[in-house]
Amino acid sequence: MNKPIKYLKGKVATLLTVMALVSCNDYLEVEPKDQITDAALWANTGNADLFLNNIYASVPGPFNTDDLEDNYTDDSMNGIPGRVSGTLYANSTYTPSNAPSYWGHYANIRKCNLFIEKVTASSFADTWKSLRLAEARFLRAYFYQLLWTHYGGVPLITDVLNRNTQGDDIFRARATDEETYQFIIDECTAIADALPVKAAEAGRATKGAALTLKGWCELFAASPLKNPTNDLSKWANAAATNKQVIDLNAYSLFPDYETMFYEENNNNVEVIFDRHYLGGTAIGGSREGLQGPWIVGGTQKAWGGVDPTQDIVDEYAMANGLPITDPASGYDPQQPYLNREKRFYQSIVYDGSSWLGFEMVMKRIPGNRNATDLANFNEATNTGYYLRKGLNPKYAINGNQRFNSASFIIFRYAEVLLNYAEAQNEAVGPDQSVHDAVNAVRERSDLPPLPIGLSQDEMRTAIRRERRVELAFEQKRWYDLIRWKLAEVNLNRPVHAMLIEEENGVWVYKVINAPGGNKTFYPEKNYFFPIPQSALNQNSLLTQNPGY
Amino acid sequence: MKKPLPIIKHGLRVVKLTILQILMAVAFSGLTIADPVPTYGQDILDNIVSISVQDKKLGDVLTEIETLANVKFSFNPKAIPLDELVSVHQRNAKLKDVLGNLLSPLTIRFEVAGDYVILSKSIKKQQENLDRSSNDPKVDSEFAFSVSGTVTSESGEPMPGVNVLEKGTTNGTTSEANGKYSLVVAESNAVLVFSFIGYMTNEVPVNGRTVIDFTMAEDVTNLEELVVVGYGTQKKTSVTAAVSTLKGAEVASTPTTDLSNSLGGRVSGVIVKQTTGEPGADGSSIFIRGISSTGATQPLIVVDGIPRDFTQLDPNTIESFTVLKDAAAVAPYGVAGANGVILVTTKKGKTGAASLSYNGYIGFQNPTVLPKYVNAFQYATLQNAAADGAGLPHPYSDEALQKYKDGSDPDAYPDPDYRDLIMKNAMLTTHNIELSGGTETVKYYGSLGYQFQEGMWPKTNHKRYNLALNLDAQVTKTTKLFLGVNGRVQNLSTPYTPPGRVWEIIGYTHTEHEGPLWYSNGMPGAAITTLLYGDGYNKRNTTALYSQLSLEQEIPFISGLKAKGTIAYDPTVIMNKIWSVPADKATIDKTQTPYVITQGPPSVKPSLSQAYNQRYQLTYQASLDYAKEFGNSHVTALALFEAKGNNTIDIAVSRRNYNLLIDEINMGSSTLSDMTTSGTSSDARQVGFLYRVTYDYAGKYLFEASGRYDGSYYFAPGKRFGFFPAFSVGWRLSEEGFLKDVSWLENLKIRASHGEVGALAGAPFQYLSTYNAYGPAYTLGGQAVQGINERNEYNPDITWERAVKRDIGFEFTLWEGLLEMEVDYFHEKRSNMLVAPDVVVPAEYGIGLSQVNGGVMKNEGIDLSLTSTRSFTDDLQVSLGASFTYAQNTLLKVFETPTTFNNPNRRRTGRPLGTQFGWHALGFFQLDDFNADGTLKEGIAVQPWGKVQPGDIRYEDINGDGKIDDEDHTVIGDPATPQIIYGISPNIRFKGFSLDLLFQGAAKTDFYSNSFRAWAFQNGMSAYEDNFNYWTPENPNARHPRITSAPTTNNTQTSSWWMTDVSYLRLKTATLSYSIPSPLAEKLRMQSARIYVSGQNVLTFTDLKNYDPEATVAAYGNLYPQQKVISVGLNLGF
Repeated sequence: MNKPIKYLKGKVATLLTVMALVSCNDYLEVEPKDQITDAALWANTGNADLFLNNIYASVPGPFNTDDLEDNYTDDSMNGIPGRVSGTLYANSTYTPSNAPSYWGHYANIRKCNLFIEKVTASSFADTWKSLRLAEARFLRAYFYQLLWTHYGGVPLITDVLNRNTQGDDIFRARATDEETYQFIIDECTAIADALPVKAAEAGRATKGAALTLKGWCELFAASPLKNPTNDLSKWANAAATNKQVIDLNAYSLFPDYETMFYEENNNNVEVIFDRHYLGGTAIGGSREGLQGPWIVGGTQKAWGGVDPTQDIVDEYAMANGLPITDPASGYDPQQPYLNREKRFYQSIVYDGSSWLGFEMVMKRIPGNRNATDLANFNEATNTGYYLRKGLNPKYAINGNQRFNSASFIIFRYAEVLLNYAEAQNEAVGPDQSVHDAVNAVRERSDLPPLPIGLSQDEMRTAIRRERRVELAFEQKRWYDLIRWKLAEVNLNRPVHAMLIEEENGVWVYKVINAPGGNKTFYPEKNYFFPIPQSALNQNSLLTQNPGY
Repeated sequence: MKKPLPIIKHGLRVVKLTILQILMAVAFSGLTIADPVPTYGQDILDNIVSISVQDKKLGDVLTEIETLANVKFSFNPKAIPLDELVSVHQRNAKLKDVLGNLLSPLTIRFEVAGDYVILSKSIKKQQENLDRSSNDPKVDSEFAFSVSGTVTSESGEPMPGVNVLEKGTTNGTTSEANGKYSLVVAESNAVLVFSFIGYMTNEVPVNGRTVIDFTMAEDVTNLEELVVVGYGTQKKTSVTAAVSTLKGAEVASTPTTDLSNSLGGRVSGVIVKQTTGEPGADGSSIFIRGISSTGATQPLIVVDGIPRDFTQLDPNTIESFTVLKDAAAVAPYGVAGANGVILVTTKKGKTGAASLSYNGYIGFQNPTVLPKYVNAFQYATLQNAAADGAGLPHPYSDEALQKYKDGSDPDAYPDPDYRDLIMKNAMLTTHNIELSGGTETVKYYGSLGYQFQEGMWPKTNHKRYNLALNLDAQVTKTTKLFLGVNGRVQNLSTPYTPPGRVWEIIGYTHTEHEGPLWYSNGMPGAAITTLLYGDGYNKRNTTALYSQLSLEQEIPFISGLKAKGTIAYDPTVIMNKIWSVPADKATIDKTQTPYVITQGPPSVKPSLSQAYNQRYQLTYQASLDYAKEFGNSHVTALALFEAKGNNTIDIAVSRRNYNLLIDEINMGSSTLSDMTTSGTSSDARQVGFLYRVTYDYAGKYLFEASGRYDGSYYFAPGKRFGFFPAFSVGWRLSEEGFLKDVSWLENLKIRASHGEVGALAGAPFQYLSTYNAYGPAYTLGGQAVQGINERNEYNPDITWERAVKRDIGFEFTLWEGLLEMEVDYFHEKRSNMLVAPDVVVPAEYGIGLSQVNGGVMKNEGIDLSLTSTRSFTDDLQVSLGASFTYAQNTLLKVFETPTTFNNPNRRRTGRPLGTQFGWHALGFFQLDDFNADGTLKEGIAVQPWGKVQPGDIRYEDINGDGKIDDEDHTVIGDPATPQIIYGISPNIRFKGFSLDLLFQGAAKTDFYSNSFRAWAFQNGMSAYEDNFNYWTPENPNARHPRITSAPTTNNTQTSSWWMTDVSYLRLKTATLSYSIPSPLAEKLRMQSARIYVSGQNVLTFTDLKNYDPEATVAAYGNLYPQQKVISVGLNLGF
């Protein structure tokens, strides 16, 4: 045998020996590289903060859907045929198996409970603990608010469920509507003082956010749906809490209504609590592409997911501040877009308006793909309008790519003013503070103050109109219709569209029932969503809402 | 030097075997081998040997000489008196002298052919015998009739070593190196029997001819004598496990791009589903014996002994595929074996002068089926009809309809038909050169392959270069070295959006959404045009290398013991580059005359993303292998240690808002928010000890035990190792005395196996209580921040799935190969399947539960293969192969909610996995079902999805409670993966012509044709021509419900209405080839030349419209249709 062979044989022998000696257990010791252990996570505040970041990110926002909650109302409808808002919800044919579900927020509630449990048990600095615990409790209250407004009473879970240690105790029955409400109120009250008036980092919960959440829930609870006897003390509570927010003197109205919603003005002076997006990443927003005008300059630029109705368009005042129904307003039904208030032009794409430098033509001209979609068959507007409010032209060229960093404003100061005005008007009547609050909102949009001497009813009408216009397409309208018990009226009739047709050489503006815009609402059951069938199947203690 | 295996008897074909002989035989199947140079071969006879035996059987002495002299004998044992006692004593003598002394007294002639020393009775001796029996009148009358000729393979190459025997006598010879033989037979009407391992045995009547040239047909059904099994090879006859095999040569000439598509219908026990025909992504899902688990179902793939992917290897370089099916076969793979194993063996070098061969084809592809969308006129007509039904005005005027119909104004009334963008006859071409040869000490095999496949449009294509080099060296008498290097480079190009999205955009390509594909001024008018013909791309370049080095050493002191070590290093690098350039469509201003067609409004600027993925696998194997014969007993034992580590690294970067149209990262926007980066890495480890012991008594009674003690990093410390044993037995009844003389029964074997194997399921580290970190998760203070979320509840006890597999098989060969069949019944019970126990916690629990090892499922069925070969004359051979696989699984225990479990119609347990549930459609509501006021008549169940109208789908109220709800769900379809796959492969050979067909079919499977696959105007998409068959009072039994501008909620419920039986039968491949006769080939200075025409997916019979029956119901993707390929090829040997 020659030398190289001997050498090779030696190698083989070495190899065999090494292999035999390798400790197989050591060999299998592999650490996952994208995961953090329980011990590492709760070892320091920096890591724990990352867990809380995820809870903030779990707050829902509507900028990656083409079916905004406003499409469930009389403010807008989806231009795309067959969307849930126009079928299941509009016809009230939803069942526990296929209704829109909010039950998934229990996953977020668990995150809050876990964070609260771990941080409470930790030895982190008290100042940090107190602040972050309050933030987590705010977020938990916010999620419960979403459940309460949709379902009424729900199981109140404030601990981390653990099937191994708790056994059957993990099955919880529904708390009453009142208990659920009271929990949210108590939590907000308890944490308000632990939260700063101004957050160290924009986006975190503040005292103002907690009070606004509280004030909003109080307003909801004082409203006819939950306050059939019209207990005025409930309105007074709501007014007081919203007043507390005003008195923080931390917020003011951002001067420009149109650009307030753009990413350039994220975290502006009016924002109380918002949900953030980061353009160019998976957590970017794409509302322009999903909700914006379908065809621009002959090319599809968006899906046309939100078509404002004639009903909301009619709510916009004239520039002189008078509603169009007022004979003195100067409204001309055949020139309906002349001399309207600023917010109309800032919120609605209408026939003859300009978008991305192109004139938007909604007239019924053969071959015009933006003409009102009478057959409800394509993504063209079904109402004669497209959404403009909040859509940043900078991103309207992108289709549905998530390039936008604009925040979805959940609570802003204008709402607090209107909350206060509404509650105070109900509790006390249209006093000066009510006028002041509403007028502040109107003034920003160059509208004159409300006339003095309005009755309580007239003031209620004025506030509701102001609220509808000011907060249009911000996912507020559905809640308002529900709490005012107006859904059985407003969501039980067709919404309307503008048809612009040529007759004898003249363009005629005709208000018609919007194609696909019929709505049905059963007041005996539809004020509450059904508890999802899957949740009922898994927890025999749950009871279904009436009527489902 | 390998210990020669014992002599075995197999019908008429009784040959001595060595591994090399087998490899050589296999090599003949598709390869060209040059004549061994006789002078070279003669050197074997100069080998020096020393031998001393006294009164031993000739057979044993030959075996001993094989070892001593490093030679191989080939002979017809019926002609050679193996039991004769001989003596020989020689020291340091040349082999030829030893053989001369030993064999000449027995009148045995010897000559060298290739690697072999071929022994035959000398003609002289035969004549003497004949002389002595000259008083036999029959013999006397036809004394010494001489026949000669050349034996060739199907590809026309001369075949040495073929046994030629006069039927019914011991008179025979073997063909020489140039394939020539000559034999003196007793009479002019004698019958010659030609046989060679791996080839069909054939009888040829002499009929007075003196020259009989004969072409040997491969035995296509199996590798006959030796099969590759896990970590070794075994004799086919002594295998007690369920394995099926396929020769690489069978697929090398078919226009197959991805090797995973080559097994369906060809190998029993394999169920396949090729869901797409997209270049570079057109592989099949392979289910060995169907689906046995709710978890992973794909088999382990092993290439040359190392776990690796095989799909992109060059088909020309494949020696064989072996599919391991039962516990006995897969037990050596332990935790990786439960879903079956496919062993792929690449070609190795052979002794002899260098031989060079070329195989190449050029083919043309067209889709098997394309969705037939309506044209613009039909679209408008259908939309008007929908508006009529809804009582809404027509969206299209009569004038518009007319313009669509006559196409007189294509800019303003466009009819964009995506089919106009599809290239006809897209090219598919493959070229391969192989070089092989070697000496006794070093053998080499090299191959270079190239494949180019065009897609349906210019953006899609796939290019592949394969390089293989296998080197075997006998470095000492007792030491062997093997070096294998198998590399490839793949360049795949597609449009910049994923293929599924391309097909989604095609669905939107209709007149309502888009302009014409091209305006009359040449500008693009549809998104699909700019996507497929504009700038931008998605390119994926893969460089993969499989390298391995083995050293095998015979242990000097223990005869039959060998040690072997292998190291394999397989790096793969994938570079992915996506240059997305959303092109602006042109727009038309119809208010001007003539129309003004201009560039549209601006789109987003281009963006570029690049990803780098590095994968490497390092595998070590060390083994001891023992084989020994004790009288009639034959024992083998194998012990092996294996460790395998995988590492992955992924890094990706991107930039957007490119001002410069240069597709380089550094040329992109320098704004930070326009840049992203990401990166991750992971490790995986497996380690195992395996053994196999076989015992074989007299070739009749076979026992085998094997198993593996296996460890995986998936699980918690202390839970990482598992033991998976298997046992099997076999009984070759045909070797028993009472059956041995049954002339029509050549082989009959019964075998049975039982064992347990494992399967990794779920994901690694489910045992850890961990959190995922990700980012960016949110922004706070205007800055992007990371987030951490809780994973599912952890389960420290998580472990492998266990599969108890049982198998009973029969193998038999009747009437000398006229019928050869192998049939298996199998039964598997898979337990420990990972299931989520949804029912035990409320929905408010708020976190996914840890999966638990709780599911149980059984899977049973049969698979069989059958071959039948018949030679009508020596010019005409007909053979038929068939394979059939039926596998049906049943869920025995899954965590099912009481809601479904308590309703026998809805219960998942007890039914096959993937059984499809929904409402049972009764048909349409008809006018008669309604009262005059439009309300439903009394007694008709209420449907909850809005007011129904005539022409809406009516569902069955199964529980009779007067309303349709979830409780009325029932079974509406079989699983989407077929439960039956079969193949029928007839072939006919006539002179140089050969026709090979493969019909492949599937059954017991349903396709749910929902959403855009069936409905008109789903999501604003177009409609199919089929949608014209919609309900009207005049067409009450239509295929589709009343037409609406968007599918209605009522009519889109999951129901039997949309279920299609997608049983299919297709002519999967058809090949017609012609081999140029060898004299002509020789004139062309070639050993062989063969020309062939081949087709893939030539014909398909199925009920499914618009989509290929193998299409999947997965998301938008995977709808790139299968391709029909017609190719012309050339196979040359030099």
